[in-house]
Amino acid sequence: MARPALKERARARLGFGPLGPAAGASRPTLAREEAWLGWWLVIPAAALILALVIYPMVVGFNTSLHAEAPTLGAPSKFVGFRNYSDVIKDPATHSAVVHTVFYVAIALALEIIAGLGAAVALHRPFRGRGLVLAVLILPWALPSVVSGVLWRRILASDNGLLNSVLLQLHLIHTPQVWLASGWAIPLITLVHVWGVLPLIVLILIAGLQGIPDEVYSASAVDGANQARQFWHITLPLLRPALAVAITIGLVDAITIFDEIYVLNGTGLNTASVVVQIYNTVFVDADFAHGIAFAFLVAAATALCAVVATLASRRATV
Amino acid sequence: MRRSRDARLAQGDSVRAPPATRALRAIAIVALLAWSLGPVAVGVVTSISSQTDVQTVPARWLPDHATLDAYRALIAGASTSLGSTASDSSAFGQSMLSSVEVTLEATVASVAVSLIAGYAFSRLRFRGSKALFWAILATLVIPVFTLVVALFRTMAQLHLINTQLGLVLVYLTTQAPLAIWLFYNYCRDLPVEPEEAALIDGCTRWRAFRKVVLPQMRSGIAAVTAIVMLLSYGQFLIPLLLGSSPSTTPVTVLITDFVGKYTTNYPLLAAGGVIALLPPAIVAILLNRHIRGMLSGSVG
Amino acid sequence: MSGISLKSVSKEFPGGSVAVQELSLEVLPGEFVVLVGPSGCGKTTTLRMVAGLEEVSGGEIHIDGRPVTKLPPRHRDVAMVFQNYALYAHMTVRDNIGFGLRMHGMRKDEIRRRVDDAAQILGIVELLRRKPRQLSGGQRQRVAMGRAIVREPAAFLMDEPLSNLDAKLRVEMRAEITNVQRRIGAPTLYVTHDQTEAMTMGDRVAVLRDGVLQQLGSPEDLYDHPANTFIAGFIGSPAMNLMATRLNSADGRYIIDFGRSQIPVSPAVLQRLPGLAAYADTEVILGVRPEDICDGVQTRDSTGIFMVTVQRTESLGSERIIYFKPEASDGPQDGAPAALDVLGGRKGAPLTARLGRGERINDGSIAHLALDPERLYFFDRASGVAIR
Repeated sequence: MARPALKERARARLGFGPLGPAAGASRPTLAREEAWLGWWLVIPAAALILALVIYPMVVGFNTSLHAEAPTLGAPSKFVGFRNYSDVIKDPATHSAVVHTVFYVAIALALEIIAGLGAAVALHRPFRGRGLVLAVLILPWALPSVVSGVLWRRILASDNGLLNSVLLQLHLIHTPQVWLASGWAIPLITLVHVWGVLPLIVLILIAGLQGIPDEVYSASAVDGANQARQFWHITLPLLRPALAVAITIGLVDAITIFDEIYVLNGTGLNTASVVVQIYNTVFVDADFAHGIAFAFLVAAATALCAVVATLASRRATV
Repeated sequence: MRRSRDARLAQGDSVRAPPATRALRAIAIVALLAWSLGPVAVGVVTSISSQTDVQTVPARWLPDHATLDAYRALIAGASTSLGSTASDSSAFGQSMLSSVEVTLEATVASVAVSLIAGYAFSRLRFRGSKALFWAILATLVIPVFTLVVALFRTMAQLHLINTQLGLVLVYLTTQAPLAIWLFYNYCRDLPVEPEEAALIDGCTRWRAFRKVVLPQMRSGIAAVTAIVMLLSYGQFLIPLLLGSSPSTTPVTVLITDFVGKYTTNYPLLAAGGVIALLPPAIVAILLNRHIRGMLSGSVG
Repeated sequence: MSGISLKSVSKEFPGGSVAVQELSLEVLPGEFVVLVGPSGCGKTTTLRMVAGLEEVSGGEIHIDGRPVTKLPPRHRDVAMVFQNYALYAHMTVRDNIGFGLRMHGMRKDEIRRRVDDAAQILGIVELLRRKPRQLSGGQRQRVAMGRAIVREPAAFLMDEPLSNLDAKLRVEMRAEITNVQRRIGAPTLYVTHDQTEAMTMGDRVAVLRDGVLQQLGSPEDLYDHPANTFIAGFIGSPAMNLMATRLNSADGRYIIDFGRSQIPVSPAVLQRLPGLAAYADTEVILGVRPEDICDGVQTRDSTGIFMVTVQRTESLGSERIIYFKPEASDGPQDGAPAALDVLGGRKGAPLTARLGRGERINDGSIAHLALDPERLYFFDRASGVAIR
């Protein structure tokens, strides 16, 4: 192979320009190319967020500091945080908050217990595991209103399946109107958990699979039985995944809406904070108070999420 | 004496869990399957029952005579024992179409925008990238309803209330940060050397992305697309708040209207529910491995 | 000016850490230069700067006479083989190899011819239709090389390409890479942490430590004339024994303390290292390679014999590695040499000798070993620089 001649021809064919110091001057460096491309690729997302999140939030916050205009187009009066304090003092808000606390508590309890149980049962390989997991995510994949519609038959007052089962088991004597009773909130939470559990279980399975087998072997050699292994090894090592699962479950439960709406409408006996916001904005047509309420709940949610994350990180066994 | 698990491991025996554990696990699995499929099964069974079947107390588990009346009423508007539903059935068909349309548009837009942003944040260095990234992620803490309520006025000003475009834009805004996060994590786990090899082989950054990184990302793209599809299809609060014209109402909103209208017509409602759940169910089953991988991988 | 030329190249990362300091070296046309050193010494960073994957903080890089310091990789006419092969998983082997040529707009028939030629050279013709995941590690490495040679680049860069292969395959591929490079003839910069690879493959070897070039020379140069204790201990396996000892002078002759024994320094060494005279009656670092220590019983020259306590013997069949301590007169406090393991070991670690076939020497027994008085290395006690 006559190297120099081949090289010249190849170079020409490969599209290189004339050799010499000048050739390199006008071409962009790799770093500049990277920066250029980087900006162009993120600009769509950035513009979107700026226009449809940042701007409306700022405008919305401003609106929340003004009284609701009496007629459309009339200037609204600046009232500072009065809308916020109105919302805080409203008894409907109080009951909504109380309901929400119940929703959250029941949801988290169910999610952790059922989630851990399911994750423990499912994280090791077994025949048909793929199929089981595929079925498992179905409740999460369905729209929550559709889930609500499906569960209606079960929870219905006169001829619902729940009533039928309980009647036949002689646990009750007449069909109960569950959704108007004290059982409404736990039952609605159950429907909500039905939809969120798959996500929780997936997160916990991932956490369990992150624990190496050798740790269990070592502890077995050290004398631990299965129960102790679970308490002293599995749970502590699962803490990061649990933290994520709890935070997600928490935020999801605070913002519960769809299931309540489809199962019991905007009724005050089951209203969560979001339902109440909906009521304020659309039923009472009070936009200013509604948006103040929405900001309050957003702040509270963020606070809870931060506290939950820090608490689960900090706690030591 | 039964040998310990470790002893069996050491001697190369198979280490299957003791029978008690395996039985427990089997019970748990059966319970989980029943729990997951139960309500769906109930819905299906109810949808093929007649009104009389449904109204018996205590309810019959299986209908005496299975019938497709509910579906006929819903799809074809036929006048059946369930009452006349002509206008509602066309509305139902229309809303299914509408849901699918909006879902597809929102999904394509969300995935496109988030894919390039997620890649850029994870692989490219440019000034302000870190700050912008965290700013976008920070919007995840804003609950959707707060955002939508805040957006309401802006959307009204832009005449986007009750429009399909308005819906797609808002879906896009609420779903992009999550999708960007998913793509970002996904790209970080991909080997970077093939991209470098492409740069050396003569590609510009953009060409290397198109010809090497994008093909690398195939399974991630499928997963995020599926997840975004499910999220878009299932949106309820946003279309409820932002309103929709009769021609653009998604099926999630319409079905709650039906619930209000046909309160005790369970077969009809169940039929609606079953039809409505078919698209997401199909997506979830076909792409379940990708979805699972992406969800558990990004938060672990 | 052809080949690869680095002039005072530096790399500083944001945050202040300096990966490469003012590195200058030339790879002549057709030459195979190995960059070797421990992890973190800056060799991979240097290679990536030549490739254009890392920005250069200071200095200049020229390839084939052209300045490329600011150019992105695609304008540098280099080809690189990665440690993890970096093949395009979604393309066939043929498409992988031809990718670079397609990017440069070469004609399809020309691409086909070149790919076939390269596949021929590397023995992978039957694999052209397969995808990377169907190949073994060694096959993937060949495809990676095919991708590189097919472009007939002005420079070859290789980043530890053999690290992911098992030992036997590594030896095989070593020979292949050298053959291919000789055939293709492009100047090659090869990075590795394995000094065996460096010594067997390189025309010249550059040893790096903490971003600073320690020595650049042929393998023999590095072996026979290491410039400092780091290189002395790095090149050669088992590592050279390095210890602090006193160089005594008497009547114009030089004698080293070695445990209870006294080893005279042969006149030939003095002639070779005139600078040694300046170190008379001071502490120096003495270097002795394990392979230069032999069985004292069998040696003809009795001047270098000393007694040792054997700590451990490793018998490999073809040779024996003896770990020993030279017998001190009265324990370590008595001015006996402390073994200095310059590569991070403990004081008082045993010395090593490599003997030929023979019987295993029992632990704890006394043995007679002999130094070769001509094969002694001397280094400055304070700086570690070789005494010449």
